[in-house]
Amino acid sequence: MSDSRHRLRSLLAITYLNGVVPIRTQPLYLVNILASPLSFLFFIVIASHGVFLPEAVGGGMILMMLSMGTSVQTDMTHYRQDLKFQDVMVASPIEAPIYVAGLALSELVYALPGLFVFLLIWIAEGWANPQSALVLTGVLLLSWAFASALGFTLATYFEDVRETFVFSPLISLALSVLPPVYYPITALPAMWRPLAYLSPTTYAADLIHGAMGLGAPPLLAAGIDWLVLIAFTVALVVLAAYKARWREP
Amino acid sequence: MSAAIEARGLSKRYAKGREAALSEVSLSIPPGAVYGLIGRNGAGKTTFIRICATQLLPSAGDLRVLGFDVRGEERKIRERIACVPQESRPLYFLNVWELVYLYLKMRGLDAVESRRRTTNVLDELGLSEVKGTLVNRLSGGMRRRAMVAMVLASDAEILFLDEPTTGLDPIARREVWGAIRRASREKRTVLLTTHYLDEAEALSARLALLEKGRLLLEGPPSELRGRVRLPYRVTVQGSFLPSELERFGQVSDVEGGHLVFAQEGAARELAMLALSRGAKVSMGPVSLEDIFMEVVGRSIEDDAPAAEAT
Ligand SMILES: Nc1ncnc2c1ncn2[C@@H]1O[C@H](COP(=O)(O)OP(=O)(O)OP(=O)(O)O)[C@@H](O)[C@H]1O
Ligand SMILES: [Mg+2]
Repeated sequence: MSDSRHRLRSLLAITYLNGVVPIRTQPLYLVNILASPLSFLFFIVIASHGVFLPEAVGGGMILMMLSMGTSVQTDMTHYRQDLKFQDVMVASPIEAPIYVAGLALSELVYALPGLFVFLLIWIAEGWANPQSALVLTGVLLLSWAFASALGFTLATYFEDVRETFVFSPLISLALSVLPPVYYPITALPAMWRPLAYLSPTTYAADLIHGAMGLGAPPLLAAGIDWLVLIAFTVALVVLAAYKARWREP
Repeated sequence: MSAAIEARGLSKRYAKGREAALSEVSLSIPPGAVYGLIGRNGAGKTTFIRICATQLLPSAGDLRVLGFDVRGEERKIRERIACVPQESRPLYFLNVWELVYLYLKMRGLDAVESRRRTTNVLDELGLSEVKGTLVNRLSGGMRRRAMVAMVLASDAEILFLDEPTTGLDPIARREVWGAIRRASREKRTVLLTTHYLDEAEALSARLALLEKGRLLLEGPPSELRGRVRLPYRVTVQGSFLPSELERFGQVSDVEGGHLVFAQEGAARELAMLALSRGAKVSMGPVSLEDIFMEVVGRSIEDDAPAAEAT
């Protein structure tokens, strides 16, 4: 009981520390996570003459979740290597999952303005209904969880923040550009499609596109999408639990 | 429970084929006191602290902290420790108050308790006036002090301080000493490293001297003198030839005279001789720095032929 109260306090303190306090010195943090999904949205919508708008909105929200994972990764690498902050955390009652969850929650603060913009479009286009809201919430939460877990694991291996600048674009290529997040999978050349199924975001996007009842009909049964997405998330969380270097070997 | 930290044959090799950063270190750190780790750059002090603070895994040997094994019982250890790593810096967007207060909240303390502890520690370490200042705007020494304040304010039973006073002015250093002494009066254990030997001697109930990952000397500062070959230092000024002095002990030149390390009898004899010649003389037990120079110096000499052979 009191243990869970300590954990909650710990979680909120980390969220406040990393998600609220920095805005005081740099308010632009608030639009940082919004920038790239919004530019994608522009690009896709203009290039497709508006045809892919539903896909681009769903994809944009998924991309925001991925960006949050990238931010966890960059922040953590910087804190660990440059400030030795991870060592301060390790030698304390603060547990690794609380630390990651706190950082991941703090990224949510920065994501709020972006989510708000996407939700406005979502509602304005008339895609909002209880069922689609539920699917959207579930998919975004899972994406956020696996992206943060992945970011955390990687961050404990990097020797320098500059390495994150190398990996982040590669990860976003693998998770959000190649997979049909912004466009229906049918727009992908047939030979690329099997590759797309290696990425959890394919299933996330399929679910969201399906829930909007627009764009191309969903490729897989929703049940399979959920199953795969949850399996990916569990796998990445388990990977973080066993492979992240909270303590240096 | 007896020891706060108990190491048995503790070794660390960062990578295969590299020299051991720690080899076969066995020592016992008593609870409720300050324990000092000294040694040259690269001696293994930080490695030892990081293993104790569960930030780094050992390669071999046993290590128990408060009776718990660092392999497998690290959660129990982590609930009871706090650490200022060497070269750690505070998160730059926090102010001094937030740094300490949020650290305590992260450790699970409630708001009232965290506030009380933060106010007290900032007062004690002379940081109250800058409590609203962003840590990035502080001088390097002030920033270091803020980090030390953070862990001193915690409820941890063991505090690991890796070079807590590097870069501090003499007055600030003494403020930190005061806070460290208070921590030990409160029956907390403090394991600290420092390159200031006067500090190590002034604060520590016991000291360990590491060199190349090996423990060369261990014990209370007052007893360490008994472990060196030549426990007395005599400085003579005036007309002495070095050759004349060599029979007393080990001679080196110093500003305006000679410094001789000697055993007690020889030291007295030399002092009497100098007095009889009307030369200026001072005699006393060796300082910790002398011990350091002798023991580490000897260890380097012992290693030299082996190093040449390889
Ligand atoms: N992360 C690391 N990877 C590889 N080798 C390391 C690492 N950290 C330390 N070492 C090596 O281990 C040895 C001991 O280093 P350590 O940092 O423990 O020394 P120290 O006594 O704290 O020195 P200093 O007084 O300079 O802080 C050194 O030879 C160092 O090069
Ligand atoms: Mg060190």
